[in-house]
Amino acid sequence: MTVGLVIVSHSSRLAEGVAELAGQMAQGKVAIAVAGGTSDGGLGTSVDKIVSALHEVDGPEGILVLLDLGSAVMATEMAVEAFAQASQHPVVISPAPLVEGAVIAAVEASIGNSLQEVAEAAASAYTLPKVHERNG
Amino acid sequence: MDSKMSVAETSVIILNKVGLHARPARLLVQTAAQFQAKVQVQSGEKVANAKSIVGVLKLGAARGDTLVLRAEGEDADEAVKTLSELVLRKFDEEE
Repeated sequence: MTVGLVIVSHSSRLAEGVAELAGQMAQGKVAIAVAGGTSDGGLGTSVDKIVSALHEVDGPEGILVLLDLGSAVMATEMAVEAFAQASQHPVVISPAPLVEGAVIAAVEASIGNSLQEVAEAAASAYTLPKVHERNG
Repeated sequence: MDSKMSVAETSVIILNKVGLHARPARLLVQTAAQFQAKVQVQSGEKVANAKSIVGVLKLGAARGDTLVLRAEGEDADEAVKTLSELVLRKFDEEE
């Protein structure tokens, strides 16, 4: 059992795409659930969808949530609060940029690292230079 | 600790086209994590824990760069051998 991941995005297609990418990195070893868009299929976030996604990947190792923008944080906080009524397992909301964070978290979780280790690695995604400057 | 400690080191040149980008870095990390040994990978002056995807990506190692693989622990020899073979096999990428 590894740390589970939940991808929260305002767009269901974005959430699916990020999960696809992270899933490729995790090589099937990590449970990844998505919560994208509103309940009527529009752009936005849904507390209910996030709660369902949390339950989907619930496990003793805990869950790292990665999200895209602004209000996704508030919706996720509400969902985590609701989830905590039903599960004792820890949930961490990552401040990481969505794509880099999800890819890094997927690899770190795939090798059996703890929630704290996975969360720290994802949070440090900010420090990765996107374009390497090379001399010569 | 009564396990015998050993140290192993080898250098390999990156041959695959994209260098140590996401997919190859992921393979390196997942392979390194299969060993008990502490494994470091060095590119130029940068040294990373081979079991950390962030560390390995930060190396920014490209095709033609030399990687120094260094392991310390009971299965150090095996770790260095397996990892260097992975790099030399171009991370099983088709090109």
